[in-house]
Amino acid sequence: MTPFIRNMFVVARRDFLAIVATPTFLLFLLAPLFMVGMALAGGMGASQLADSARGKGRIVAIADPADVEALRSADARLRAAFPGRDAPEALEFRIAGPDTPDPLAIAGEKGTDTYAVMSGPLENPRIVERNADGSSGRYLALLAGQVLRDRAAGAVAPVKPRFESLRHGGASIALQQSIGFGAVFVIFLLTLLLAGQTVSSLAEEKGNKVIEILAAAVPLESVFLGKLLGMLGVAVLFIAFWLAMAFGGGLVAATQIDPATIDAAGKAGKAATALASMPATGWPFFLGIGFLYFIMSFLLLGAVFLGVGAQAATVREIQMLSLPITIFQVGMFSLSTAAASAPGSGLARFAQIFPFSSPLAMAARAATDDAKAVHLLALGWQALWVALVIWISVRLFRAGVLSGGSGWKFWRRAKASTAVAAAAEAASSQPR
Amino acid sequence: MSDFSVEATRLTKYFGDYKAVDHVSLAVPAGCIYGVLGPNGAGKTTSLRMTLGIIDPDEGMSRLLGGHKPQSVRSRIGYLPEERGLYPGMKAREAIAFMGALRGLDWSEGRRRAATFMTELGLERVIDTKIRKMSKGMAQMIQLIGSIVHAPDLIVLDEPFSGLDPVNQERLEMLVRRERDRGATILFSTHVMAHAERLCDRIAIIARSQRRFEGTVDEARALLPMQVRYTPRDQGDPAAIAANLPAGAERHDDAWHFTIEDSDVEPLLARITASGHGVAGLSISRPALHDAFVHIVRQVDASFDADAAGDAIEEASA
Repeated sequence: MTPFIRNMFVVARRDFLAIVATPTFLLFLLAPLFMVGMALAGGMGASQLADSARGKGRIVAIADPADVEALRSADARLRAAFPGRDAPEALEFRIAGPDTPDPLAIAGEKGTDTYAVMSGPLENPRIVERNADGSSGRYLALLAGQVLRDRAAGAVAPVKPRFESLRHGGASIALQQSIGFGAVFVIFLLTLLLAGQTVSSLAEEKGNKVIEILAAAVPLESVFLGKLLGMLGVAVLFIAFWLAMAFGGGLVAATQIDPATIDAAGKAGKAATALASMPATGWPFFLGIGFLYFIMSFLLLGAVFLGVGAQAATVREIQMLSLPITIFQVGMFSLSTAAASAPGSGLARFAQIFPFSSPLAMAARAATDDAKAVHLLALGWQALWVALVIWISVRLFRAGVLSGGSGWKFWRRAKASTAVAAAAEAASSQPR
Repeated sequence: MSDFSVEATRLTKYFGDYKAVDHVSLAVPAGCIYGVLGPNGAGKTTSLRMTLGIIDPDEGMSRLLGGHKPQSVRSRIGYLPEERGLYPGMKAREAIAFMGALRGLDWSEGRRRAATFMTELGLERVIDTKIRKMSKGMAQMIQLIGSIVHAPDLIVLDEPFSGLDPVNQERLEMLVRRERDRGATILFSTHVMAHAERLCDRIAIIARSQRRFEGTVDEARALLPMQVRYTPRDQGDPAAIAANLPAGAERHDDAWHFTIEDSDVEPLLARITASGHGVAGLSISRPALHDAFVHIVRQVDASFDADAAGDAIEEASA
């Protein structure tokens, strides 16, 4: 280990331990629990509402006894084409006769939501529906048409389809794009939550004057990098903790599935479809490179914030800086999402090359583009920028903060020197 | 290899238009204790910082431990900054080990040495106490240990004595001497002359941004004439007594105070013996470093005031 790396780790170790070994860290670590709890409570309530509403919904066909069987079998066949959430409401039959109530009366019956009622001959049925642009009425019309077509064509042998799933390269582009978008969002969220803290991390050393010990003992570059690394360690610990929680939670949930969660199983089935629709580079590579891009994003933005925060003189200034910093991050996020939704465009290329949005945009690219070598290039490019930002920050810090004096800020230096000149003039004119 | 641990030549630093350090050179022979003296705000700390490469000089350069750039020999240097600082949440032993680790010392070795040092300095009961629970002086001793725990070849201490009680000052002096005996070179700044006088092999005096004196303590004291305190046994006629003494002799109670050049000692003794007034008390001594220091600083200040007045006159006439 070179002295530089060793020094970096000494600083990183100190920072990491100083952050982790406090009760406040526990609060920090568990903070998302509040969010998850809220989301769960809200989501459960909402989905229960929706479930109860959907469970009681129905569509009604008032049909001749002769048509009922044909309609029933047509419904069974067509329904298979609408899995899960898109399935039409349950179909109920009423036998048409002189004492059959009016469709409007049926639609108004209490106890259940009736979305559409079909009556009259199948050739030109009367359909009463609740939503003009809903699918329930059209589904009933489709059923009627199907029955008529069956009759006209006679007994057609049922289609025996052979399903084959599209493999490699055939995954839906839209899905891949949304995977890319998801990657951008996750990386952004984590960076927003975690990297912003680096802005105040040098304030401690400046406040308690340890900075001079550090500056005398080790190169400032390794101090800056070490601090960044310490914060990254905290971030990774945070992520690992929540991944473990999610994994554990998933296991517990898997062993405790009961019949009441059939709906959830349906959702899981959908998630499985999404999972099967691989990102272009494949899941293992995608997740790996996504993590690396998170690290890069963290280091890049963290380095900028660290450098900016190092210039701040007071806690108040650091607080003021947090807004532009958040806006900067959101800007990078919007740029990258725009790029993620238009892969291959000039904007996407720009977002991939511009160093601060590059990790986000490149993670999105990994979802839609199966080229792998380019990621190595991107990581190198981003690492170069991390080094560059640190280098510039250190130069500014050395020139400004450490040189002491009153006018240490580059934007105040001109003012301070004129003040000194004015004071000198005043002093020299006194003896007169 | 040169015989100097510190060779700083013509260091200059501007803060805005103000010249904080003006062509200050320091040459510290290896293995000696060297004091940088000066009034507050003279530029001592800035000079030391530039010497150590913490800030870059605008002019001049600094070479340490035989011609190396300060940055390349960091692990062989120990530094106690003027503005003391430790992480308040760290335990004393950890803080010392941390400072050692920054200079390349192994953590476990650092912890071990920390305990040894603290025990020696009577701090064994706070080995595992957090810095924030310590008194300022204690924390300063911890930091001092931290800056020498890696057994550096060059130790730079900026105002090490300020803020310490007399007992701890004594311990610090002991520590400094012991480090010197181990073979280290010690460079420290102070404005308390007593320590410099007791400890230093050589001193430099910085005032108004410039080095005004460099040499041994004795050489500094020799800048001023000898001080004489004479009490005649026969207090008879003051005028007659004064006639035997150099002009400007002042009488305080029974004793006469005056200064003489080195060459005037024997003639003075001859005159006093011959005068017949007798000798109830006589002391001839070098002035203390304190007086030499004040003398030098006053001279510099006086010349500055004169310059300022001169400038003002020039300005007025122009």
